Amino acid sequence: MTSPQATTTDSDTIVAVASAPGRGGVGVVRLSGPDAIVVAQKITRLRELPARFANYTKFCDVDGTVLDSGLAIAFPGPASFTGEDVVELQGHGSPIMLDALVRTAIKLGARMARPGEFSERAYLNGKMDLAQAEAVADLINAASEASAKAAVRSLQGDFSRLMNGLSETLVRLRVQVEAAIDFPDEDIELLAAPGITAMLADLIEQVEQIITRTRSGVRLTEGARLVLIGAPNVGKSSVLNRLCGEDRAIVTDIAGTTRDLVREQLQLNGIPVELIDTAGLRDTNDAIEAEGVRRARAAASEADLVLAVYDLADPSSKEFIENWLEEFQTERSVIFPTEIKSNVIVIENKSDLDVDAENKGFPGKQVLTYRVSAKSGANFEELTEQLVELLTGDESGSGIGTREQTYSARSRHLLALDEAATGLVDAQSAITEGHGAELVAEHLRHAQAELGSVCGEITTDALLGEIFSSFCIGK
Amino acid sequence: MTTSNSTDKKPTAAELHPDAFDVIVIGGGHAGCEAALAAARLGATTLLLTQSIDTIGQMSCNPAIGGIGKSHLVREIDALGGMMARVTDKAGIQFRVLNARKGPAVRATRAQADRVLYRNAARVAIEAQPNLQMFQQSVTDLEVTNDRVTGVVTQMGLTFRAAAVVLTTGTFLGGKIHIGMQRHQGGRAGDAPSNALADRLRALPLNVGRLKTGTPPRIDARSVDFTVMGQQPGDEPRPTMSKFSTPADHPRQVPCYITYTNETTHNIIRGGLDRSPLYSGKIEGTGPRYCPSIEDKVMRFADRNEHQIFVEPEGLDANELYPNGISTSLPFDVQMQFVRSIKGFENAHITRPGYAIEYDYFDPRDLQYSLETKVIEGLYFAGQINGTTGYEEAAAQGLMAGANAALKIAGKGIWCPRRDEAYIGVLVDDLINLGTNEPYRMFTSRAEYRLRLREDNADLRLTQQGYDLGLVSEEQYATFKRERATVDAITAHLKKQHLRPGSDMAAALSAATGEHISKDQSSTDYLKRPKVTAIALQPLLAELDLSEAKEAGVDLDAALTQAGVEIKYEGYIKRQDLEIDRVKRHESIRIPASLDYATIEGLSNELREKLLATKPASLAKAARVPGITPAALSLLMVHAQKHAKNPKKVPGNAATEEQESTSRGEQHQG
Repeated sequence: MTSPQATTTDSDTIVAVASAPGRGGVGVVRLSGPDAIVVAQKITRLRELPARFANYTKFCDVDGTVLDSGLAIAFPGPASFTGEDVVELQGHGSPIMLDALVRTAIKLGARMARPGEFSERAYLNGKMDLAQAEAVADLINAASEASAKAAVRSLQGDFSRLMNGLSETLVRLRVQVEAAIDFPDEDIELLAAPGITAMLADLIEQVEQIITRTRSGVRLTEGARLVLIGAPNVGKSSVLNRLCGEDRAIVTDIAGTTRDLVREQLQLNGIPVELIDTAGLRDTNDAIEAEGVRRARAAASEADLVLAVYDLADPSSKEFIENWLEEFQTERSVIFPTEIKSNVIVIENKSDLDVDAENKGFPGKQVLTYRVSAKSGANFEELTEQLVELLTGDESGSGIGTREQTYSARSRHLLALDEAATGLVDAQSAITEGHGAELVAEHLRHAQAELGSVCGEITTDALLGEIFSSFCIGK
Repeated sequence: MTTSNSTDKKPTAAELHPDAFDVIVIGGGHAGCEAALAAARLGATTLLLTQSIDTIGQMSCNPAIGGIGKSHLVREIDALGGMMARVTDKAGIQFRVLNARKGPAVRATRAQADRVLYRNAARVAIEAQPNLQMFQQSVTDLEVTNDRVTGVVTQMGLTFRAAAVVLTTGTFLGGKIHIGMQRHQGGRAGDAPSNALADRLRALPLNVGRLKTGTPPRIDARSVDFTVMGQQPGDEPRPTMSKFSTPADHPRQVPCYITYTNETTHNIIRGGLDRSPLYSGKIEGTGPRYCPSIEDKVMRFADRNEHQIFVEPEGLDANELYPNGISTSLPFDVQMQFVRSIKGFENAHITRPGYAIEYDYFDPRDLQYSLETKVIEGLYFAGQINGTTGYEEAAAQGLMAGANAALKIAGKGIWCPRRDEAYIGVLVDDLINLGTNEPYRMFTSRAEYRLRLREDNADLRLTQQGYDLGLVSEEQYATFKRERATVDAITAHLKKQHLRPGSDMAAALSAATGEHISKDQSSTDYLKRPKVTAIALQPLLAELDLSEAKEAGVDLDAALTQAGVEIKYEGYIKRQDLEIDRVKRHESIRIPASLDYATIEGLSNELREKLLATKPASLAKAARVPGITPAALSLLMVHAQKHAKNPKKVPGNAATEEQESTSRGEQHQG
């Protein structure tokens, strides 16, 4: 038995955001592995990264565009957290910036770390003692569970269906190519067949569409994004002010006051939130206002949580929300049809007015409903509690506030999709340039392996099974 | 299992053979031959025990060697000093290169063989091998003491002592032949099955399953009209199966023929299905999906109005033909009728009816990488007994089992090439980790590193290993070294050559290949264009002195071609290298067999069960368990390392034993 120290010199360099998700003054991206220092030198454009010295530097992407500036600290192995060469890049805490840094590192040859992988390496390189082993295992377990849940969240419904459809089409394509290679005597149509090139072109288009749609699903903000919508003049801005605790939005009685989006950064029980007030959703002839309405709809479709406000005294404003809910539900189900229940809270405003109590909620729809008064502040405490609960989720980390997990899961999916697309495009050029079937097959295999990392691997045996059921093979 | 002998007929001391052997190989088929030869080459005193010395090297199914994936195995056997490729060259009566228009990685040689010539050449090879004896007797029992094999008992009660036994009994274990609704016991048409041995093995704690395979009816060539069939001649220039043969080693060449079934044939077959053992449920074994019977093809692909038949001669002096593509177990009268409905077979006389055979196989997941059973020390299995089909697959396992049996006796570690080194590695790795539920056949699509596992570089991948083990002769090794040096010199030279537009060289090369040189580039970049062949770059070698290699007999064209292949695949191979490195690292992380999966938090129940069933020996093996996730692998790694650091925690100290036995394997694993 070789010693653990000797067996784990991993050739991969891994990268991940090391600071806690959410808002913080400083964000840390950690690199570990044999190329950690080289990758960091390319990002910082520094020739030297002296050991354990805080270098104040710029952070650049591969083209040299400056992304951020901050501190770069190198910890050469084995005297580092993981026992390998480690570099920490400390920049501003913005998730967008941190994401750009991670992506740059990946472009420079690192790969995204698995959940708990830094600790795992630390343990395997003898940086932790036996007593800590259980803790490491638990950590990997917990991290991977949360990440698995996050992955499941992002893999729900249509996205998963699209991915599986993609994988199935790719299998059908590979069946043609592999069968032509392994059974040349069986008059199986060759690579030049227009069917193959058409299938490939179609696949590439599909992948690119999914990439576009997935990318639009990956919204990065400072914390979770809450959007207020509703018909004009139902008191959205007043609700915003109640939640913020200060008069920020212009509050008037003239419908359509809030023409542009009003953004507010706030903390609800310490959780960073971006609250956005939108123009009242209504059909309008005013060009500027129309633009505001368009933005409002767009903001709502990209929100983590929508606060749909209507006026208890105004049935048309309730009808408005009802219609919008229909629309929103249809739209959401295209890619991430997470339960509408955890995405929307209906706020019945103006409870201070004397209105019909029967007029409550949407019995057909499973949405949380709160009756409040922005004017008196009634019920806002309960509403805030509910918001916090939705944002933090339960112990398993399923809350919207811990969306870093969801984000990194989706980000992995995107990377895999990008790689799969590359494989498909390479296969296409291999065909047009007249390369052998085995090279086309190799690119397709690569593409499939990448898709497999998202939606499950296709084993050789499954592939062979497809070949045998598609072709009459055998002498 | 303790000391045991056959119950009714206890052998006396007088019936003990006086010679003790290191290795006894039971069975003289393709697995048995390579097993016996490999063990003997490694210096083990070896005995080949067979029911019939006259049928050593018998081709019981179709008379052909090679084909896609399979010729790759044969080349690997060749590179390790085995006999199959050389014997094929002495017996091959038609040679073809399959996939000639595709890339070099998937090109494959296939030879039609004369059964008699093959058998004779095999027998000559066996008889020429020092350290190897033959004995003709059916084996009825194994001698096992304390879970360790000590010898075998033959039909006449004669006991042979041996330190290791390699079983290569093919389809003979519990063989049952079906023709229509009739069935009888048999190991192969005309041969008896080994039932006593089958019963004995079934009593061992090994998992047994049933498989089936089939053969077509054989036809008398004199009753066939070849003029209405398509002729398929061999390829020119004619390839050889072995690197060490030339076409001059081949006997006279003959063509094969192609004909087709038709709607009438299919109607006759459909009409006979009620008496088909396959369709009436008489056969319990699973047949291969890639080699269906003609009744299967007609039923499963009902839209096809014809199926191809390759009409293959069984030999130069034989009149029998092997109609490849119509394997069947339909009743004989239906066979007669449908054969005669086929173009060219209108007056065909069937010499032997087609049949399906069911036989026992042992779940190969009960084996180690050496092909030694996990439960009985010194007992090795190779060939169809492990659920494979094909002469080539059998021979490859035979070589592995024979070599490992001899290595074990010499106190050395397990040897098995990795998946990225050889199809042999893919074969063994697939079998012992995944098992099989149909006769396992090699395909290039089973090899994830297909681009590096080529016919042309089998020696590069394996001859050094084979030489280090003692499988490869000094002569073969010297040839290998010379060829390697030549290929390396050519590669290095080509990498230094630059092509400039407008130069005489650029003009000459453009003219030869039709590929224009429009900008300054290295000759290796130019070679990566699909239409540019290495041979076309011959003029670039003008300044390279290869006279020494030429005088030593190195085939310079072959060396240039091989250098070209390596350059063309360079980029792809580099990408695979990264993947292989990861697998190697995972390979070096062993998982103790005593690891308690139940205590590992975070594994799904499904995965836990799969891991318990397969008990992967290393992290790399665990990575191939279906449904495993990266997080589960991380958990396993941490637990395996923890376990290794503190094995005393485990009751009975089983972990330490396991580590000792697996660490032996590490010496040669890679």
